[in-house]
Amino acid sequence: MNEEQLIIQQVYKAKENMQKADELINDYMPFIKAETAKFLRRPPIEGHDDELSIAMIAFHEAICGYARNRGAFLKYASMLIRSRLIDYARKEMRHSGAISLENGSEKEGTSLSDTLADQKNHSEETDTREATKAEIQELRKQMEGFGVSLTDVAENCPKQKRTLDACRKALQYAKETPDILEELLRTKRLPISKLVQGGADRKTLERHRKYMVALLLVFTNGYELIRGHLKQVMKGVATK
Amino acid sequence: MKYMVMECHPSYAILLDKEGRFLIAANLRYEVGQEVTNPVLMKKPSSSGFRLKRVLISSAAAIAACLLLLFGMNYYESYMAPYSSIFLTINPEVRMDLNRNGSVVGLAGTNDDGETLIEGYEWKGKDKVTIADELVDRAIEMGFLSEGGRVSFSIDTPDEAIFQEYGVELRSKVTEHLDGRITVEIEIFDYSNSSESSKEEQPEKVSSSPSSLPEKSSAVTSDKTSSQIVSSYSGGKGESDFKPTAGSISDHTPSSSKPSGSNTDYSDSDYGENSSMASSQPPASSKPVSDNTNYNDGNTNYNQENQNENETDDTDYSSEEQEDQESDYEEKESDEDE
Repeated sequence: MNEEQLIIQQVYKAKENMQKADELINDYMPFIKAETAKFLRRPPIEGHDDELSIAMIAFHEAICGYARNRGAFLKYASMLIRSRLIDYARKEMRHSGAISLENGSEKEGTSLSDTLADQKNHSEETDTREATKAEIQELRKQMEGFGVSLTDVAENCPKQKRTLDACRKALQYAKETPDILEELLRTKRLPISKLVQGGADRKTLERHRKYMVALLLVFTNGYELIRGHLKQVMKGVATK
Repeated sequence: MKYMVMECHPSYAILLDKEGRFLIAANLRYEVGQEVTNPVLMKKPSSSGFRLKRVLISSAAAIAACLLLLFGMNYYESYMAPYSSIFLTINPEVRMDLNRNGSVVGLAGTNDDGETLIEGYEWKGKDKVTIADELVDRAIEMGFLSEGGRVSFSIDTPDEAIFQEYGVELRSKVTEHLDGRITVEIEIFDYSNSSESSKEEQPEKVSSSPSSLPEKSSAVTSDKTSSQIVSSYSGGKGESDFKPTAGSISDHTPSSSKPSGSNTDYSDSDYGENSSMASSQPPASSKPVSDNTNYNDGNTNYNQENQNENETDDTDYSSEEQEDQESDYEEKESDEDE
């Protein structure tokens, strides 16, 4: 009984803080593994089975969605993990007809991937990946100066299309008036009152403050690769 | 869609999609900076607060619907549903449906002439007396009603008080309306009584109150007598005459529900000759009694009631009747015993 209370308290703390949720998942890893093993009918291997990762994200969902009136937490989490694993299995069923490249062909010892011609330039790809990684690292550092982490941004990200459009509109306005970006960098604060002049709703922007900071930072200096990835963001606004 | 891996945690990864959304997804052995497709995104279950709100809203809507239905029913009951009906019979017969408040909610011709009479007549929003007056006018115009004719209102209502109220009102107002133009008879009937007098008695009523049967026959006679009296009054004398007429209405209405009450009313009423007429018609009242032997089986009170009635009316007659009935009763009993 007491233990049950403890879990619930931890869960409620983890709801607000992704870091705590991560810790909680670490503590309950044996439970998650057991649930995955029940589904797979074999013990999952860490770092190999996608199912384990999915079980972990399902545990995250359980933390977010749990409420006291939903009964015992672990039962709820177990149910959610099982249903997410079933969802995943159904999604994968579509590819069940395909042959894995890793499988051996008639000739023993060589896999199908070895027989295919190499389409991509591997070294170039690893280079760009390294470059992107460095850029992201830089962005993270800069965001830390604002007291914003990427996890915060992900949690703060607008879900509705309309809200997303409003944020983009504000971004577009900020790009046209360099003062805003300058002010952002100088004061380390989001100049909402100036952004509002772009026509976006003030409340919407305030609610997605962290997200706006990340988005504006991406469009300040550098971050060519991330911006390249986000090409569609600006395309959507330009066509309007 | 391609996603860029922004950050990796042991239990989750943060991805950036091409539209600028940052998303949390399952970390399927990702690396920072990698571009991935088909990630397993985290679905955020709706928070309990939102659920609660939804439940509250839906329950409030349900309650509102129930209330609306309830009050709607109430409204229908009091304003829309016909509660009582008035049959206006000259030769054309017209039925007026009234709601609980006495407003007219429907008008229909119950025979061909009645339909002709109300054809093109706009009754909505008018009072029952106004409608009655105008219909009588129309009847005069169309030639259905002429000097010395007869107008009868047959009132069908479950409430006795309403019957009296409507009867008095209609009689006085219509007489007033026609005063000085033409002379017609105006009759007021209780629809249930008049229908019983013309049609066969309904078996249910008989079984429920067999003792009231002889009274019904007397009620019919009183109807006749009252209408006769009415005819003498209705020649448009004066308004003071309407009081006793109202009394005559009350005379025969209770007969269906209060058998003993009707008798006392008779003796109380101003019509000395009326009571004598009622008492002077033993054959009429005796006829149903003789028919009545069937009803004796289940009801022992019958004799007593009859006795009461007979005491007020005619002692000789009652003793005869009673003896007959008792002997009948005994015979029946002996039959049953065998």
